[in-house]
Amino acid sequence: MKTVDIVERIEGEARLNCTWENGFVKDTQIDFLNFRGFEYILEGKPALDALVYTPRICGICGQAHLKATVEALENIYKSLNEELVITNKAKILREIGLNIEIIDSHIKWFYMFILPDVIKLKENDLKEYSPLKGKRWLEACKTASETIKALAIIGGQWPHTSYMIPGGVVSDPTLLDLTSMMNYLDLAINFFEDSIAGVSFDKYLSFNSVDDLNILNEDLKYFTNLSFEYSLQKYGTSYDRHLALSDSSISKRGKIRQRLTDKLDLNKIKENCDRTFKVEEDSKNKEKHTWSKAVTYNSMFYETGPFSRAMVSHREFIYELHKSYKDSVFTRVMARVDEIAHLLHSTKELIKQVDISEESYIKPKISLKDIPKANAKSVVEACRGSLYHNVSIEKGIITKYDVITPTVWNLGPAIKDEKGVAQKAIIGSPSLDIAKIVLRSFDVCSVCTTH
Amino acid sequence: MIDSTEMVKKVFTQKSGRVDTNRGDEYYNSLFENAKNRLSTLREQEPLKDIDMMDVIESEGVNRRDFMKWVSATTATLMLPPMFAPLVAEATELMNRVPVIWLELQDCAGNTEALLRSSAPTVDDLLFDVLSLEFHHALMAGAGHDAEHQLDEAMEHFKDNYLLFVEGSIPMGMNGNYGTIGPSGETFHDHLQRISKHAAAVVAVGTCATFGGVPAASPNPTGAVGVMDIVKGKPIINIPACPANPANMVGVVLHYILTGQVPELDSLLRPKFAFGYRIHDNCERRAHFDAGEFVEEWGDVGAQNNWCLYKVGCKGPMTFNNCSIIRYNEGTNWPIGAGHGCIGCSEPDFWDKYAYQRPMASANIKAPTGGVEKTVDEFGLGLLTATTVGIGVHAVASAVAGKKSGEEGEDK
Ligand code: SF4
Ligand code: SF4
Repeated sequence: MKTVDIVERIEGEARLNCTWENGFVKDTQIDFLNFRGFEYILEGKPALDALVYTPRICGICGQAHLKATVEALENIYKSLNEELVITNKAKILREIGLNIEIIDSHIKWFYMFILPDVIKLKENDLKEYSPLKGKRWLEACKTASETIKALAIIGGQWPHTSYMIPGGVVSDPTLLDLTSMMNYLDLAINFFEDSIAGVSFDKYLSFNSVDDLNILNEDLKYFTNLSFEYSLQKYGTSYDRHLALSDSSISKRGKIRQRLTDKLDLNKIKENCDRTFKVEEDSKNKEKHTWSKAVTYNSMFYETGPFSRAMVSHREFIYELHKSYKDSVFTRVMARVDEIAHLLHSTKELIKQVDISEESYIKPKISLKDIPKANAKSVVEACRGSLYHNVSIEKGIITKYDVITPTVWNLGPAIKDEKGVAQKAIIGSPSLDIAKIVLRSFDVCSVCTTH
Repeated sequence: MIDSTEMVKKVFTQKSGRVDTNRGDEYYNSLFENAKNRLSTLREQEPLKDIDMMDVIESEGVNRRDFMKWVSATTATLMLPPMFAPLVAEATELMNRVPVIWLELQDCAGNTEALLRSSAPTVDDLLFDVLSLEFHHALMAGAGHDAEHQLDEAMEHFKDNYLLFVEGSIPMGMNGNYGTIGPSGETFHDHLQRISKHAAAVVAVGTCATFGGVPAASPNPTGAVGVMDIVKGKPIINIPACPANPANMVGVVLHYILTGQVPELDSLLRPKFAFGYRIHDNCERRAHFDAGEFVEEWGDVGAQNNWCLYKVGCKGPMTFNNCSIIRYNEGTNWPIGAGHGCIGCSEPDFWDKYAYQRPMASANIKAPTGGVEKTVDEFGLGLLTATTVGIGVHAVASAVAGKKSGEEGEDK
């Protein structure tokens, strides 16, 4: 039997095709059918214009793209041995911005995207988790909105801020600004304590064993119970290979295949278009079914995202959950929610470190226009995982811009017989509802995937 | 050589670009009567949702006084005289009478994100609790076939009465195959045509839906266009900006409830209450502009003292929008507040014309018509009479559709 269904409540939509045998998914294919063509648009544009375009690849993770673009342009200077001096203050302000965006995205993802689907396995009525009207849903939405104000203070607005530029940042927060930012983050911490985990923040941060699941209350307890009732700790396993391309304030770079290593070589990243539609070609080619490319590291698929970050950095609680429940839906969801707590903690620490007397920006000595030819890459840990930008310029004009988003790592199609990460995870699902939850556990974003 | 600072100053300070909205007592008196009648008719209609606005407001801890403050600010934003305040308050309570369908096409979800963080008083409640959002792809509970079904039902049930909000552009290249939706693979183009057919009015939100946006940047690989290039024979309201300001979305809905009409629009179909004046006219750094105090480069003394950002590329003088007043994230901040110039994101072609960091001095762009004395008001003269929409009302073809850019006088 074959089924085709649409997965919505993501940004855009995805089409999920499943082949069934004896009531289980035997094979699957994920189609992303929307395309805008950012890489084509960027070609021929002045390099600095990329700072306006790339954040608009995605309305949810624009900070990550902004940071990736800025750092790619800065790496151009580095590649010419003209490394720019970026003050500590500027670095911290960038990191803070990125962290807040991730916190915001994770909160919304848990309440708006995954929890309703999990609850619906059991109840018809979502009650306080109902979109647009449930009490918890609204509280979560409000918390996310308040948290993001901390970013608006330094970024000017959100989504789509433009406060980072090669050489630093344009904003100069005052002490009052920093205090307000702290207050917004405290609101999120309260929400985490009262509604998400139901234990004190410090207690939660000290979690380090599977038994700690028993201490949880509130929504994480609710989620845990439902997960075990519907075996979400068994479904959704994939290659269990993990990749984090960049260091972040809460995680290290590295990869896990059989073992952990922090040696990464960006040249081993390869894109594959065997199953990807081509621009300008109304393709009838059966092999091609999606706008998403596939990507591998050293010819292998890797998962990326909060779960992989927790694994690579050996974050105790998630690492222990993984021992029992592998790379299942349950562990993956827990890892994303767990990251909220760790990010809140470390972001507050970062705010304390901002020295307002430092400079925000130091002007580059050379203009990009005066560089005959150069190429550079950058990597950033975004909400959904590792983001990679690769830019080539000639006299300040972009000649090629390649973006590989986190979702391409996770949601890209198969290469030859080798299934993509999410694809492999979906195989074996006992129902369409579970298959969709497995897909969603990767935090699907269609616009990011295809850009 | 002429002192460029002096010249610039002269050009931009001659006369305020603010649109004169005072339309005289007679007009307002009759509008007031109409609005009153309309609201009482609406009140008699069954609410689509059984939620009382005042309950919601109180339960959220917003007191009556704060609510009234919000009401008077909103009345002013809509450019109505203060006597309309009680009616605006009443309209707020009647938001649950207006069904809204929201479509996402070729977008980045930035406007949905912006909407999610709108709240005034807490418009989370205003919009979500009270406004009857009948369909929103990303936010509703249903998905897949369920969602399809829900959309069909909403369209049928509220035929000719719903407001259709559209986010994202429409790809016309490759027979529309750069963007499809639903299990049947309907193209965005067909989808929009089908759903706009029975809408009372179409509200294009964000620069993608209005003018094609970033996807339409050269070479426009997918042939992206805006809603007004596709939808004909319907009132269209454009709320550009990237992202659009949620306050303006609320404003349009309120205005519709209040008057049954589309607000007064400029030649680009933007509501004048929001786009009737330039960023520059109400910018907090304007005094420094007038005094010739400019940030010469980021991080300098000027930057530390919040001087004008014109020389580091601010496009405020050529951008019509109210974000200098309303700001973003519930008034927390806006780009210029954070030290970054305006990038002109509510203007057509901003992606190719104004995109980041082309300092005005070296850019080949001029302020509209070489001076600001010609305001939006004059650009679109004759096209601006308010369009009536709603039950039993004839739709008016959008006279400017197709002439989307090049008309506002820039770059000439
Ligand atoms: S107008 Fe801007 S925010 Fe909106 S969808 Fe387009 S790029 Fe995104
Ligand atoms: S910062 Fe921009 S909008 Fe503000 S006064 Fe200067 S030029 Fe005008």
